[in-house]
Amino acid sequence: MDIKRERDEYIVEMKGITKRFPGVLALDKVDFNIKRGEIVALLGENGAGKTTLMNILYGLYVPDEGEIYVDGVEVSIRSPADAIRLGINMVHQQFMLIENFTVLENIVLGSKLLGVKLDYRRAVEECNKISKALGFSIPLQRRVSELSAGERQRVEIVKALIRKPRVLILDEPTSVLTPQEVKELFKLLRDLKGRGISVVFISHKLNEVLEIADRIVVLRRGKKVGELSRELADPLLLAKMMVGKETLITLNKSTASVGDVVLLVKDLTVYGDDQRVAVNNVSLRVRRGEIVGIAGVAGNGQKELAEAIYGLRPVASGKIFLDGVDVTKMSIKDRLKLGISYVPQDRIRYGVVRAFTLIDNVLIDRVDEEHFNKKLLFFNLIDVKKVTKHAEELIMKYEIVAPHAYVKAGTLSGGNIQRLILARELERAPKLMIAEEPTAGLDIKATEYIRQKLLDMKASGVGILLISSDLSEIFQLSDIIAVMYNGEIVGVFKPEEISYEDIGFYMTGLYKMPREEVLKRWESY
Amino acid sequence: MGIVLKFEKREVSSWVSALAPYASIPIAFLVMAIALYLTGYDPLLGFTSFFHGAFLSQLGLVTSLARSTAFLLMAVGIGLALNAGVLNIGGEGQYIIGAIVATAIVITTQDFLPPLVSLILALTGSLVAGALWALVAGVLKAYMGVNEVITTIMMNILAFRLLQWVLRGPLKNPLSEAWPMSPPLKPHLLELVPGTTFNIGFLLALLVAILTQFILYKTTIGYKIRITGANVDAALYGGINVKNIVILAFMYSGALCGLAGAVDILGVFHFLYEGISIGLGYTSVVVALVGRSVPVLIIPASLMFGCIYNGFTHLQSALGVSYTLSKAIEGVIYLVILVIHLSTEYRVKVLVR
Repeated sequence: MDIKRERDEYIVEMKGITKRFPGVLALDKVDFNIKRGEIVALLGENGAGKTTLMNILYGLYVPDEGEIYVDGVEVSIRSPADAIRLGINMVHQQFMLIENFTVLENIVLGSKLLGVKLDYRRAVEECNKISKALGFSIPLQRRVSELSAGERQRVEIVKALIRKPRVLILDEPTSVLTPQEVKELFKLLRDLKGRGISVVFISHKLNEVLEIADRIVVLRRGKKVGELSRELADPLLLAKMMVGKETLITLNKSTASVGDVVLLVKDLTVYGDDQRVAVNNVSLRVRRGEIVGIAGVAGNGQKELAEAIYGLRPVASGKIFLDGVDVTKMSIKDRLKLGISYVPQDRIRYGVVRAFTLIDNVLIDRVDEEHFNKKLLFFNLIDVKKVTKHAEELIMKYEIVAPHAYVKAGTLSGGNIQRLILARELERAPKLMIAEEPTAGLDIKATEYIRQKLLDMKASGVGILLISSDLSEIFQLSDIIAVMYNGEIVGVFKPEEISYEDIGFYMTGLYKMPREEVLKRWESY
Repeated sequence: MGIVLKFEKREVSSWVSALAPYASIPIAFLVMAIALYLTGYDPLLGFTSFFHGAFLSQLGLVTSLARSTAFLLMAVGIGLALNAGVLNIGGEGQYIIGAIVATAIVITTQDFLPPLVSLILALTGSLVAGALWALVAGVLKAYMGVNEVITTIMMNILAFRLLQWVLRGPLKNPLSEAWPMSPPLKPHLLELVPGTTFNIGFLLALLVAILTQFILYKTTIGYKIRITGANVDAALYGGINVKNIVILAFMYSGALCGLAGAVDILGVFHFLYEGISIGLGYTSVVVALVGRSVPVLIIPASLMFGCIYNGFTHLQSALGVSYTLSKAIEGVIYLVILVIHLSTEYRVKVLVR
C-alpha cells in the first residue's frame, strides 16, 4: 500500500475532462492534477471554466467525458458527499450556507460531528482551534443571514477545514477579504501545505497567484492553455495566456466639471439585519460629474448605506435627498423615476432573475417605462418587439457573451451577468448611480471595461457613489474618497492627498477624523 | 448506514415535461387494476365502466367536460398564484363562497329580473365574493407573513360551516324538511348539449384560461406577478410593490375559484346543498401542478382530471364499489400522476451509505 502511494505522487488526476452545457462547450478535454501538499492555482477569466472544472471534482457536475483518479485509482464522483468522503472539499465563491441556521449549525452540517447526537461542545472546540489558527474570530451563535459577505466567507472556510480535507478547493477566496486577511489566509494555506494538504486556488488575480501557488494552470474558454511552475511565470506572460492579448489599458479619467448636488445624505442612521446600528449618523454628498468612493472593509455598513439610499432598507433617522427631493420615505418605484440606479453587490440575488431570459431581465426595474409599453383596451402590454430589440442592442453594445437574447440569465458567467446589469442601468440614463463592488469577482477585461464605463458615465454628468473594498479601484476612479469604519465615516480625502497605507489605517479603525472635520471637508471639497 | 433519497433538478425539454403526466396514465391504470383486484372486484369490468364514463360514451364525454370546467377555472387561478410564488389551497372555500353568493343572488332576483340578468349578476357576484374571501389570506400573507397554506385551509373550514348554516337558515328550502338544501334555481346556464350538464360555463372557462395566459405573459402586471414568484428580491429591487402583487394574485385566484362554484351551481347542480363540497379545490392544486402553472397547459390537464373524475363516478355505480373506496383509488391515481410528473423534473437517487 505504502509503496503504491509513494509511486502515485498525484493525489488527484483529472484526464480529458469535457463538459457541455446547452449551447456551450464549458470544458474541452482538460487535464488537471495536483500533488500531495501542493498549491496549484487555476487561473483564467470569468467563464474560462475554472469553477466548472472544480465543480466536477467536487461532484456537483458529472463530466460528459474524461476520468478522475484519486490516489491513482479511478473514481466516480457523483455528489459532494462522494467528494467529501475522498477528502475533497470546496469553498464556493457564492456562499452555500443555510441563512436561517447559526454559524455553528452550518459548520456542523455535513461534518463528521453530525452523528445521532450533535456534539456541539466538540464542534465549538474545533471551530475555535481553526479560527485561532486563521487569526480571526467567528460568531458561532449568530445566524448566517445577519453576516456580511466577508464574514460568510470565513464561515465557509472554517466549515471546509473542520472536515479535515486532503484537497481543499478555494473559489476566488480573496474577493471579499482585506489585504491583511489575505495575508493571513496565505499564511494558513502554507500551513496546510506543510501538513500535506493540497490546495486548489481559483483566481484571476495575478499577484495573488504568483505569491501563493507552486504551480499555475491557465484556462481560457474551456481549454487548458498553459501550465507553469511559479519560478517560470511572470505577470505579463500569464496575463497574455489568460486573455489571449495585451490588456493593460490605462483608463481614460477625464476631469468633468462637477455640477449640482444630486445626492445629499444627512445624519443617516440605519439598522442592520441583526437590529444593531449599521450606519451611524452618516452625512455625505455626491454631485453631478463626480465619483465619491466609499472605501472600507466589507461589513462596515456600506451595504446598509447603499440599501437605505436606494430604498431597500428603512431609515431609522436622518434624511436622504435625491436631486433636491426628500426621498427618505419614498418607494423605490418613485426613486427610480427620480433617476436613481443601483448596481448591487449581490448580483444574483437582486440584479437578475436567473430563470428569466435576457429580454425579461432588461425590464426588471423598467417594466413601467412608457416606451416599453403599449395599450390594448385597458391592458398595459409589454412591447415585446421593442424590448427584444433593446436587449439585442445591449448584447452587442456591451459585448455580453450570449448566443442570443432568449437564453436564461442563469446560463451567463458572472462577468456577463454584471455587464447585463450595468447595461440595463446605464441605458436608463440615471442621475445618480450607486455602484456597489462593481468589479468584485470579475476578470481583468470585464473589470477594465466596467471601470471605464463608470468614468464615461461620470464624464456625461452622472453622479456616482462607488462602494468598494478594492483600494486600487477606489484610487483609480474616485474624485473624493470617504472611509467607512464601524458604520461611521471616519475620513474624507482627495485621492492625491492620501496614500494607500494611510487609507488602510482609517479602514481598520486605527485612525479617525473628528466628525466636525469630516463635515467641514464635505463642505470645502 | 442509512438510505438517503436525493432529488436533483434535471434539464428536460418543455415538451417532455408537459407530456409526461399523460404518459403516466398506463401506470395509473395498472395501479387501479391491482387495487380493484385486491378488493375483490373485476378489474376488466372496472375498466370498461371507467372508460364508458370517462369519454367512450357521448353522455360520459360531455359529463366529463362539464366536470373539467370547475377544474379548469380553479387550476388556472391557483396556477396564477403559484406564478407569484404563493400557494392557494383555499380553492375549496372560495368555490363554496362563490356557490353560496350565486345561489343567494339568483333566489332574490329570479322572480322579477330576466333570467340572463340574474345569471350575469350571480356570476359577477361570485367573482367578487371569491376574491374577497381570498383577500383575507392575501393580506395576512403580504403584511404579516402568515403562511398562506394555514390561512387558506382555515378559511375553507369556515366556508363549509357557513354553507351548513345558510342551508339551515337564510337559504333553506321551506319545502325540504329533512334534507338541508336551497330552493331550486330557475335560470340555468345554457346547455351546450341539451339534456346534459355540459353548459356554456365550459367555454367561459376556456376563455378565462386564454385571458390569463395573455395577462401572465404579455402584460406588465403579468410580468410583475412572474418576477415576484421567480425572485422576490429582484422584484423589490425593481421597485415592484410585492405586497400588492401577492394580494392581487390571491384575489385573482379566489375570483376564479368563486366563479367555478357559481358555474357548477348554475350549470350542473341547479340548487345549493352540502354535497357541492367534494374536494374539487384540493384536486385543482394537483391540476395546476400538472399544468406547470401555465394556463394553456392547464387546459389539457383539467380535461384529463375531468375524465378521471367522471370515469370513477361511473365505475362506482357500475361495480357497486363503495364511495370511499372509489375515492381512495381516485386519490391514488392522482398521486401516481403527480409522482411521475415530479420524477420527470427531478432525478431521484437512492443512496445507501
